[in-house]
Amino acid sequence: MTDRAAAPVAASEAPRLARRRSADPMQPRTLVLLAFLLPALAFLVLFRLTPIVIAIGGSLFTQNLAGETSFGGLTNFAQLFGDERFWNSLKVTLIFNIIINPLQIAIAFGYALLVMVPGRGITFFRAAFFLPMTLSTGLTAVLWNIMLDSNLGPVNAILEGIGIGRQPFFLSEHQALGTMIAIATWKGCGYWMIFLLAGLYRIPGELYEAARIDGASRWHQLVHITLPQMRRPLAFVFVADTAINFLFFAPVYIITKGGPNGATDLLMFRAYENAFTFINWGRSLALSTIILVIIGVIAAIELRLFRDKEGAEA
Amino acid sequence: MSVDRRSTVLAFGAARYVTMSLIALVLLLPLVWLVVSSLRPPADIFAQGSRLGWGMLIPDRLTLENYTSLIGTGFPRAVGNSLFVALTTMVVGVIINAAAGFAFAVFDFRFKNVIFAFVLAAAMMPFEAIVIPLYILVQSLGLIDTYAALILPDLANGFVIFMFRQFFAGLPRELYEAARVDGASWGHIWLKIALPISWPVVLTGGIMLFMHQFEAFFWPLVAAPSPEHTLVQVAIARNISLEGTEWGRLFSSTTLAGLVALVPFLLFQKFYIRNFVTSGLK
Repeated sequence: MTDRAAAPVAASEAPRLARRRSADPMQPRTLVLLAFLLPALAFLVLFRLTPIVIAIGGSLFTQNLAGETSFGGLTNFAQLFGDERFWNSLKVTLIFNIIINPLQIAIAFGYALLVMVPGRGITFFRAAFFLPMTLSTGLTAVLWNIMLDSNLGPVNAILEGIGIGRQPFFLSEHQALGTMIAIATWKGCGYWMIFLLAGLYRIPGELYEAARIDGASRWHQLVHITLPQMRRPLAFVFVADTAINFLFFAPVYIITKGGPNGATDLLMFRAYENAFTFINWGRSLALSTIILVIIGVIAAIELRLFRDKEGAEA
Repeated sequence: MSVDRRSTVLAFGAARYVTMSLIALVLLLPLVWLVVSSLRPPADIFAQGSRLGWGMLIPDRLTLENYTSLIGTGFPRAVGNSLFVALTTMVVGVIINAAAGFAFAVFDFRFKNVIFAFVLAAAMMPFEAIVIPLYILVQSLGLIDTYAALILPDLANGFVIFMFRQFFAGLPRELYEAARVDGASWGHIWLKIALPISWPVVLTGGIMLFMHQFEAFFWPLVAAPSPEHTLVQVAIARNISLEGTEWGRLFSSTTLAGLVALVPFLLFQKFYIRNFVTSGLK
């Protein structure tokens, strides 16, 4: 279709709309330009931008028990801020993120350092470290829910066999969040390892050679060469990981439903439950708006990192 | 090299391999247990699989019963749905994102920078963040519980557009100029010249779009509630919350769903990692 629209004959009757001289063969007619751009852009506007507008707009409307909506201003937010469950959920989400993001990135960095230098069987280890990543978050939750089952799970059989004793894991208020962090870390680190490996291979080899000639120890090289050189890749994966973990949902839905006693009640699950269990859309959209603001802040940090890097390379 | 130094190097190497092996065990054993359990007769699964001993990993008897008995359930339909949704998203998504990436790389137009900044912003916003307002939107379009609800929101992808733009902008401009002078249309240049050269990005972007759909959970959970449109991840998760879960089938279906996601990755991991990771870090 675009073939015909751009035929050279048509180019002469062309558009004042095109910014440059219409005779320029490198400038497409407006129709051609739209044919290239519009499908993707229209979908982005409809399915990315519009939902943000709906979230912010909808969060300002409240519902009464009959299901009638009316403009309520910041009522939804006021109610949220007066609700203990919201504060618990925010607390749980923050604790979850403060622990899981540094933990995952530290382990991923460890993986990357371990498999960086080629050696016998190293391809196997790289693949092994990455493999859990190919299991989706939902399937990871299904698998570990069975593995950690208090009666039937093999993990508890092992713990009992070696004398530690059975653990409740997801059934305990005190262990549930930690267990959630553990299974997400089991799955997630291999992914970030790949990014960090790419970063490690970009460090100029001369830096290490010079250090070796000076007799610097491995530890010394790690602290004074590797870490400073890896600052940007580490910051990048840290921010990207945080954006993902703020939206952690499937395992909470599948395994704990926010329990026991709110111990794993992450914000995303709160938003889901308000919308689809309590059918309180205004409140759910207020929660979505709060999540979007958090994601926006994370994205702004990410942009800054990108800009810093361009400045440094130019 | 002194004997002293050589022995530290050896000790370091040994410690490295011991550490890697331990990590590999923790990461792989659950997966091995999953696959082995899926091949046990249902009666053996917990009798053997959760009693401490070698029987945990080495089954007495092997059977495909858990796989063959999936045929009568909703699982084949869910796999079909997932494959249909993911493959459609992959093909249509690659086409429209590659076209937009090409326009950003080659054409000059008003507000280009502003529009491209919007694309980048979309690339940075995780899809899951907007699931609930998206539900309201898709509902008002009358599309809840249709394939369209599952496919349409996932077609345009800011990151894939970005990858294509980077690739097309890196090609020499003379390539397009020569074709233009010969009278080729832009559509022809894009389809016959640019797209074939960009096959590594086509593969990478295609796999990204496929995987995102195949592994999605939150959106298909709410957007397609009926059994006819249930996708595979949701189908499996639903099985564990039902009374009297068939554990054998849960293992076999989880194994199958994991394998489907693994295959494209194994086939194309070289391109995937090279393109995806480096465009993320550049």
